[in-house]
Amino acid sequence: MEKKETKFFDQLKNNAYYIKWLKNPFTYVTAAVLLSLFQTITLAVTKEPWGVSGVFAYWGAWVFEAFGGSVDKWYYFASSGAQAVLNDGFINHAGTWRNLGIIIGALTATLLASGFKIKKIKSKKQIIAASLGGLLMGYGARLAFGCNIGALYSGIASLSLSGWVFAIGMFFGAIVGSKLLVKFFM
Amino acid sequence: MAESNRAATSRRSSANRKPKKNQIPFGFAAVFLFIAVALWLNTKSSTLSLFWMTGIAFGFILQKGRFCFTASMRDPYLTGSTSMTRAVIIALALTTISFTAIKYGYASAGLPIPGMSYVVPISLATLIGAFMFGVGMVIAGGCASGTLMRVGEGFYMNLLAMIFFVIGSLLGAHDFGWWKEHIISKGTSIFLPDVFGWMGAVLLQLGVLLALYILAEEYEKKRGASSH
Amino acid sequence: MKEVILDCLGEACPVPLVKAQNKLKELEVGDVLIVQIDHSCAMKNLPEWARKDGYNVEVEEVDDGEWEVIIEKNK
Repeated sequence: MEKKETKFFDQLKNNAYYIKWLKNPFTYVTAAVLLSLFQTITLAVTKEPWGVSGVFAYWGAWVFEAFGGSVDKWYYFASSGAQAVLNDGFINHAGTWRNLGIIIGALTATLLASGFKIKKIKSKKQIIAASLGGLLMGYGARLAFGCNIGALYSGIASLSLSGWVFAIGMFFGAIVGSKLLVKFFM
Repeated sequence: MAESNRAATSRRSSANRKPKKNQIPFGFAAVFLFIAVALWLNTKSSTLSLFWMTGIAFGFILQKGRFCFTASMRDPYLTGSTSMTRAVIIALALTTISFTAIKYGYASAGLPIPGMSYVVPISLATLIGAFMFGVGMVIAGGCASGTLMRVGEGFYMNLLAMIFFVIGSLLGAHDFGWWKEHIISKGTSIFLPDVFGWMGAVLLQLGVLLALYILAEEYEKKRGASSH
Repeated sequence: MKEVILDCLGEACPVPLVKAQNKLKELEVGDVLIVQIDHSCAMKNLPEWARKDGYNVEVEEVDDGEWEVIIEKNK
């Protein structure tokens, strides 16, 4: 029985449709069209476009509170909406499930393409780059009301001028980041 | 940098290569797992289930397409390639059209327009925050969506970046009151249809995107020609 | 005519691409550069760049999630 199943999956590896849809990468443009489709679905059904980084602030708050801290006095979490989200917990937070979904969706795609591999951290430079980069992204996203998804993609698509301003700032940030990367983190 | 010179023939006859494992069964298991989670979430609330499913879709598409917002901003400068940039421009143009259609539908029916919370005030904080974000995503090797996607691909480096993204968000939320009071409150939100009308705003934005697309393509040709 | 192996396993974008570009500049015409990568985006952007620059490129999946991009400096 087990033999038969292995054989099935090995045959699948050579199937033309498998190779086309699950093994080989999509073109960038295909991905752009599909992302637009799901952005549209998201706005139509949830009445809000896609956002990613706002969720991370709540994750931070939950961890902080688990360690005995309190964010109730912070302006950012002062609204009744934010308080309700914090009190309901992460298991009832829709955005949390969407972010976890992105991780699991990517994992599924990688496994179906038989291309999963744990990639360990290689050097101290990577540790510094990842920590510093993560901190900058987190802090910056709070100042600018979002990240590349919420502020840039959803912002511009929502016909908000703020999206374009974000794009300009991010573009120059990326140039400076590239210089830093080549100089210090390679 | 590990580096070695070998005769051309030795690589071709790499018999010591271990046989590839087939991970497709685990892929199927993952599919069953996320469907099971979707059904379970659906018993709690259909909204949670919907967000979960769209998250799966976004993650799947980002991974399959190797879609990287970081590369779209970084590669024009660093490598001269704009193929990712142009794909992002296409995504922006398509989503602009569909979003505006939805918004216009609500507006013309006299209903409150959805998604207006993403039209946020423009201030110095927008530029500073976006600049910080831009620097951070390049050195961390992934933006917000890219970091999550690569956690799913098994990168410990991006997992670390995600943890610090959360810490940074908490610090940002902590200081948000100060920024709001001193900088953000001085800014205004600008919804383009309020300025140019619905038709004008869409045409203007699509025109700008088209110009950027052509610029990106010409720039790539120029960089490609000058590097030889 | 030599073969040079560039180990970029565990490196994130854009490091493999930048390293490959620098290495290829050092090589002579006829040399072959083999870039070992396990970053799925590099597996797409590295061949794309090399093909656009007119080099002969081959991508080989050597293991689950590991690739070798073989670039021949043919000009």
